[in-house]
Amino acid sequence: MAPSGLRRPNDPPLLILVSLADGPKHGHALAKDIEGFAGVRLGPGALYGAITRLVERGLIEPLGGDDRRRPYRITPPGSAALAEALADMRRVARVGVARLGLDPA
Amino acid sequence: MRPARLLRWYPRAWRERYGEELLALIQDTVDDGRPTWRLRLGMIRGGLRERGHQAGRAAKTAAKRLAWRDRWNLFITGLVLATLPEALAVSPSRAHGWQAAAVYGVLAAVALAAAVVLASGLTALPALVRFLRAGGWPKIRRQVTWATGATAAAGGALAGLSAGLGSRSYAQLNASSTYSVGLLVAGVVVGVAIGLWTAAAVAAARQLTLAPGVRALHLVLGAVTRTAVMVMFVTLVLWWSATQSSVVLLVLALVDLAGGSVLAPARIGQAVRKGRRLRAAGGAAVVNPSAARTHGRHRA
Repeated sequence: MAPSGLRRPNDPPLLILVSLADGPKHGHALAKDIEGFAGVRLGPGALYGAITRLVERGLIEPLGGDDRRRPYRITPPGSAALAEALADMRRVARVGVARLGLDPA
Repeated sequence: MRPARLLRWYPRAWRERYGEELLALIQDTVDDGRPTWRLRLGMIRGGLRERGHQAGRAAKTAAKRLAWRDRWNLFITGLVLATLPEALAVSPSRAHGWQAAAVYGVLAAVALAAAVVLASGLTALPALVRFLRAGGWPKIRRQVTWATGATAAAGGALAGLSAGLGSRSYAQLNASSTYSVGLLVAGVVVGVAIGLWTAAAVAAARQLTLAPGVRALHLVLGAVTRTAVMVMFVTLVLWWSATQSSVVLLVLALVDLAGGSVLAPARIGQAVRKGRRLRAAGGAAVVNPSAARTHGRHRA
């Protein structure tokens, strides 16, 4: 397991980090974005469970503003953890694609 | 069920931090304002998971505060209590000689420890009652709630262990790895429950203003409790050595008994001397000075 705890491509924490990689978002925007790029529909319970863990680990942080629709942004350690997890996945994907004889393009 | 009511599944601290955000997200997600069953189940699962995380963090924090000696004492106490169903079901009526003597020793040590803990609680009871009447319950509610939950889990573990005993003999139980694992798990769970009650008692004691005489008595009773745990360990190992005819366990028990015979009187003597100094210093000893400011004095 990666030191950041990000394991599978459909892990809610990983999806949240990917979503926040292009800018801060609040809960509803996160859920919509994740459904759009990954096809994964995260319920409010699962989404906020993952947000809680990521905040605790310092990988994302809340921004000021509306208490009810508070946006979150990725932190530098969060970006590093995401880059590491994506590199791991890319390595595995490259091997899989090569072994299947598929065109990596 | 309204979304706000679903938040009750989450711990209070979590609700205070994320509750409004979660409700806003549900409002944005649900079209007609009525959560679907899938959403409700997700909230319940999420709430229970948060409570689990909180319990894990509380246990880790409590464990970090404990010295290795205290963790060992809790484990031994839990293990001894977990063996009681076996002791009561199989012994002493069907045991002989050393087995029966060791079982009586275990039971006597447990009774002694329980009596000492009860006496400690009774001496602090008047101050505790005054503290609770002055509105102190919220300060210890969390610890008491966790301890109560852990006690329920410990009761379940002991009930499961008792159910697994059946009519098996010592030899059959000793040969059963399932029973051994169950015994260890039950011992840990019972130890955790006792540890959480201890944490709750310490949290309560920090809010009380105890008279020097009561504090001195608690010092001595604490030393006696640790001695009782030592006796529990020795008698438990003696019992196991008797039921398994193990010379190694017998030697281990005797070595521990020899060490304890030297350490226990010294420990109790030290507590008595410290208690005398405390009484000689006179005046009420405020364990937590802020308690006196916020709740007045709850002198025992």
